[in-house]
Amino acid sequence: MNKNKEQLLNKRYKAEKRFRLYGQGAIFMALLFLTIFIFKIFSTGYSAFQKTWLIVPVTFDAELMMLEQNPSKEDLKDADYYDIALKSMADLDPNANEDQENELKRMVSYFFEREIKRELLNDPSLIGKTKDVYLTASDDLDQVFKGNYPRDLPEDQRRVTDYQLKIFDQLVELGKVESKFNLSFFTYPDSREAELAGIASSFMGSIFSILVCLMIAFPVAVLAAIYLEEFAPKNRFTDFIEVNINNLAAVPSIVFGLLGLGILLAVFQLPRSTPLVGGITLSLMTLPTIIIACRASLKAVPPSIREAALAMGASKMQTTMHHTVPLSMPGTLSGTIIGLAQALGETAPLILIGMVAFVNTIPGSPLDPAASLPVQIYIWAESAERGFVEKVSACIMVLLGFLIIMNLFAQIIRHKFEKKWS
Amino acid sequence: MIKINSKNVDVYYGKKQALFNINLDIEENQVTALIGPSGCGKSTFLRCLNRMNDVIDICRVKGQIIINDFDINDKSCDVVRLREKIGMVFQKPNPFPKTIYENISYGPTIHGMAQSKNEMDEIVETSLKKAALWEEVKDRLHEPGTGLSGGQQQRLCIARAISVKPEVILMDEPCSALDPIATAQIEELIDELKKDHTIIIVTHSMAQAARVSQNTGFFHLGELIEHGSTDKIFKNPENKKTQDYITGRFG
Repeated sequence: MNKNKEQLLNKRYKAEKRFRLYGQGAIFMALLFLTIFIFKIFSTGYSAFQKTWLIVPVTFDAELMMLEQNPSKEDLKDADYYDIALKSMADLDPNANEDQENELKRMVSYFFEREIKRELLNDPSLIGKTKDVYLTASDDLDQVFKGNYPRDLPEDQRRVTDYQLKIFDQLVELGKVESKFNLSFFTYPDSREAELAGIASSFMGSIFSILVCLMIAFPVAVLAAIYLEEFAPKNRFTDFIEVNINNLAAVPSIVFGLLGLGILLAVFQLPRSTPLVGGITLSLMTLPTIIIACRASLKAVPPSIREAALAMGASKMQTTMHHTVPLSMPGTLSGTIIGLAQALGETAPLILIGMVAFVNTIPGSPLDPAASLPVQIYIWAESAERGFVEKVSACIMVLLGFLIIMNLFAQIIRHKFEKKWS
Repeated sequence: MIKINSKNVDVYYGKKQALFNINLDIEENQVTALIGPSGCGKSTFLRCLNRMNDVIDICRVKGQIIINDFDINDKSCDVVRLREKIGMVFQKPNPFPKTIYENISYGPTIHGMAQSKNEMDEIVETSLKKAALWEEVKDRLHEPGTGLSGGQQQRLCIARAISVKPEVILMDEPCSALDPIATAQIEELIDELKKDHTIIIVTHSMAQAARVSQNTGFFHLGELIEHGSTDKIFKNPENKKTQDYITGRFG
């Protein structure tokens, strides 16, 4: 009998040990996947924060720029920079033939003309002189310099020619190639050229969408939750509403996109591809999340507080607004932020309402066409150029950073306000 | 003098009847104790007196409860004003999660009883003094009320209830969550408060009922079995059931 008991006890201890092992294994797996994911994204993406520049001597020849004597500021703006830009690239190899001159031109971005113009506008005294100017390298040479380009491929299988590589290697040897922090990744809008593409338009698009979403979803959801939880009679009809709100939270996001397309764009004729429409569509998605969070935190307010207020002669409205709602706010706010974080990462509905369009301007208001960060990831991931690969990862890093900050904020709100009184 | 006069009060929770034909008069400026075993309806009756049963969706109250010549179950009765006149202290201390000062000032604020900050300070001070809490908290009025001990919290709730100068104070087992010392303090306080207020207290402790009350009502299974002066109920009850309960044979 005693021995039996001992065996049973041992069995129970063993079961507990096994269970702990399963749990630790599960956590280990989760951490492993997360590490692999983050490592992959960082190792591909970190190079996008660096940009390669060619340092090219440019001669600001007044004649080639069609400038008269003592030009005014306006004249400088209207001047023709294409010829001196072309010439400075061609001068890199004095023996180049016409084809090779063309290849030389393609070693830098098509923006090179404007980069030279900016230099002169900053310092008009440069006319007639020669100065080393930083020109953005083409995306392929950028990748070559970063070591991401398969140089060993036969020439007809790559976009960089042997000639371009030869000149580039010479420049590298002369120290005329430099890598600097890629500020334009944050300040430029999207572009077809990887070396010029930035996240400014999609970042602003995301911000505007989230703001529109917040301004619509938060008040509507909080009012709905307060009414349902505190004022509405509990009957079949309100049960039905509650079931439907929960169902709404489970509707695939693409369906909301179709709704936005069919109603906001087709019926109300709102401007296509704008954060306004995106924000409204996302708010439909966020609405049930906030309602559920707000109701849960209202429910968590102890009934004794409501009774205390009512017994003091507070009206229902005063009880709700003075006591219940303030006490439920931490939960509601953190639910809201989590809902917004979901909306921030949403792609499918935005694609349907046209925020997938190529936008090369930075939106200044929710009524301007824009992309959003997750859609930008989608657009770049579809692009063929090698230069976009690292951009995709870099954009994911920005989006993840954004999400982490929002979730952190939600945690802080919950912690700070919950601790205060207990 | 009779303060509250209840006539033929029936209470239903859905289809279940919880109180049967209660006729009970409450004397002014005295303490009336309601005793009886658990589930006998004494708390339900107490909550009828300030219409707190309105909060429960399925609860229906029938009959008349007349306070100051006015039937509070009448449609014309304003619940907010009724509860200003009839304060309540609950079983578990339930201070608002705000400062001690705000706990007291809440009632006077919503009822517009103070014109200035000074007046409010005075109300807070007198309420806390009446609740015998002033000396303990006067230096930390702006700290959370939830940080006080259980007994202090309950006295804070009493101070909150008397801040609006109610005529009647309902107490629903106010000492059940407290230790004997805190209980003694509250009982002393009740004795003091009956000078200005009519007090109705629901209690499980017969000793407490005997100590603090002048009148006692004994409830059993939703019926008021017997009521009268505490002396008579405890020493010379008319009903066999009362006798059994008092002597601890059931309940």
